[in-house]
Amino acid sequence: MAEGRNSVIISIFSTSSGNGKTVTAINLAAGLANEGYAVCLVDLDLQFGDIATYLKLKPKVTITDAQIALENEEEDFDVLSYLTEYSYKNSDGKGVEFFVLARPPFIFDAYGIEIPVVEHIVNSLKWFDFVVIDLNAAFSALNLAVLDLSTIINFLGVVDFLPSVKNFKIGYDTLIRFEYEESKIRLVENRSNSQKLITGQDVERLIGTKFYHQLPNDFPSINKSIREGVPLIFSSPDAAITKSFIDLAAKYTNKHVEEETPAAEEKKGFFQKIFGKFFG
Amino acid sequence: MRYKTIVVETDRRMAEEISTTLKRSKDFELLSTYFDADSALGQSHIYNPNLFLIDVESEELLEMLPAFIDLFPKAEIIATMSAWDADIAFQAQKAHVTGSVLKPFKPEELLETINLSVKRGKREPSRVISFFSPKGRSGRTTLAAMLAIDIAKKTNESVALIDGDLQFGDLPIFFDIEPRHTVVDATHDIKLLTPVAFAPYFHNIQDNLWMLASPDRPEYAELVETNNFIDVIRMAGHVFRYLFIDLPAGFNPISLDVSNFADTNFVIAMINTGLEVDHMRRTMDILRERGRKNKFDYPIFTRVNPCTEEERFKLELKLGYPVTAIFPNEYNLVSVANSGRILYGVPLDSQLNQNIEMLSEKIISGEL
Repeated sequence: MAEGRNSVIISIFSTSSGNGKTVTAINLAAGLANEGYAVCLVDLDLQFGDIATYLKLKPKVTITDAQIALENEEEDFDVLSYLTEYSYKNSDGKGVEFFVLARPPFIFDAYGIEIPVVEHIVNSLKWFDFVVIDLNAAFSALNLAVLDLSTIINFLGVVDFLPSVKNFKIGYDTLIRFEYEESKIRLVENRSNSQKLITGQDVERLIGTKFYHQLPNDFPSINKSIREGVPLIFSSPDAAITKSFIDLAAKYTNKHVEEETPAAEEKKGFFQKIFGKFFG
Repeated sequence: MRYKTIVVETDRRMAEEISTTLKRSKDFELLSTYFDADSALGQSHIYNPNLFLIDVESEELLEMLPAFIDLFPKAEIIATMSAWDADIAFQAQKAHVTGSVLKPFKPEELLETINLSVKRGKREPSRVISFFSPKGRSGRTTLAAMLAIDIAKKTNESVALIDGDLQFGDLPIFFDIEPRHTVVDATHDIKLLTPVAFAPYFHNIQDNLWMLASPDRPEYAELVETNNFIDVIRMAGHVFRYLFIDLPAGFNPISLDVSNFADTNFVIAMINTGLEVDHMRRTMDILRERGRKNKFDYPIFTRVNPCTEEERFKLELKLGYPVTAIFPNEYNLVSVANSGRILYGVPLDSQLNQNIEMLSEKIISGEL
């Protein structure tokens, strides 16, 4: 890690809930950390974020403490004092370490977090090579401020359910309308191989751009990872989804770019009609 | 049908105007006009009227509404006011009037008000039921839609779904419809509307089931001020007997204020990793802290497997609150919602449907 290097900020965003933002944020952070980068994972799903619970962390300090400190003594503010360390080592001595900035413990405190404070905190994480930020699913003032700061917007979607497809399309169109550069927005399809009538290719045609990456479906591995509080690289090292996260991390570090996997066979029929109706 | 009408009006010029209007119309026959409650209550019965137009801007008349309803249980009682006042209209509704109209009016408007109010259903204030979820993908919209369908079918009273999930509302997809008006138009115009003028903003789904959709661009949500949205709900209460309001996930101005206004707030979480119970507890702690009087917040879990009483009991122990209802996973549901066939797609004998019916019966009976 080079001194004075600017952090790459990757925000994990989506426009419909429950499609794997937190799992993606954790495993991307773990993947990057595993490659030797200094990584900070920030939970900005301020009301109901699950980063700490998924990692079985019990943070003693959170973003609320960081805000209080910033408001009281801005000059002495040291962001590192408000991070919680996550570290894991397996029996072979292999492991991973990264830092977490936890969400407020109480929902009431979530309401009190101010945007300039978040901007200040994210900017002061420059010690890290990568800052991975987990957002919630809405176009809020806070989320837009964070997307503005981000190097990369990892825009995540599960496209098995028509309302989710609609929200994915609306979300993408809105990001473009808000003038985020297309190069900055990386579309990532989650659960890409689950059995479903709508294919990733349908959605690519609808949105007019390709998926940057596709994560396969693997509930058992993800459940195991959450149950153990251990990122996939160590809880299920051989799973396809783990390899896919390693690939995604590699894409973001530009180490090696995998060939795009050939898209699934085209399906036509009933859904075409509905697509036309809502998006035509 | 010709309405044999008694006008009770404190403003003499307005009384004259109403009288002229009614005389012009074939639908109404003006029997008599009174300027105070006592004369009207004492004398009207000799005419055998079936319609009263009562000036509720007069405090005295507003208070005497129950007496009119007692004495003339078969007559339609319409409250009249010269400027729309949501509080007065609500008080009149609580007194069991047929409906409220803005005066002066055209005969057609009066007729439409009566017809609308009769179609609305029981002469009671509307039930306002909101659907809150800590996080998204909880089954919130599905539950709101299915309950609305079932209650519309069971009661024959009018039911409206209002999409308060302003950025990412999914209701039109569930029903495969393209509404012309949205919550944005409604909140923009609400100060100028009356129940009769407001009714066409709703999209008719079937028989007595209607919908007001959210805007098609997320940024338009910014145009909706919460207090105007509450005004929309209050006005809708004069058009529909049941209002089902789908809220955006989490705590935000809309979800907090609307769930606070609703008489019944269902809080919905989908069981996935099991951690959802903690989010539900944190949510219930905050909602209950509001100490709402005669208004309730009820936790509901979806995708509960196995969906049994025993499992519900376990969830209650873990949650620390009674669990009002649990719903099983229904594999069909994704394809049903995907194809816009929520009206017909869920098998009647499925456990999901049975649990929906149990919940809607509790709502109709007033148990919830």
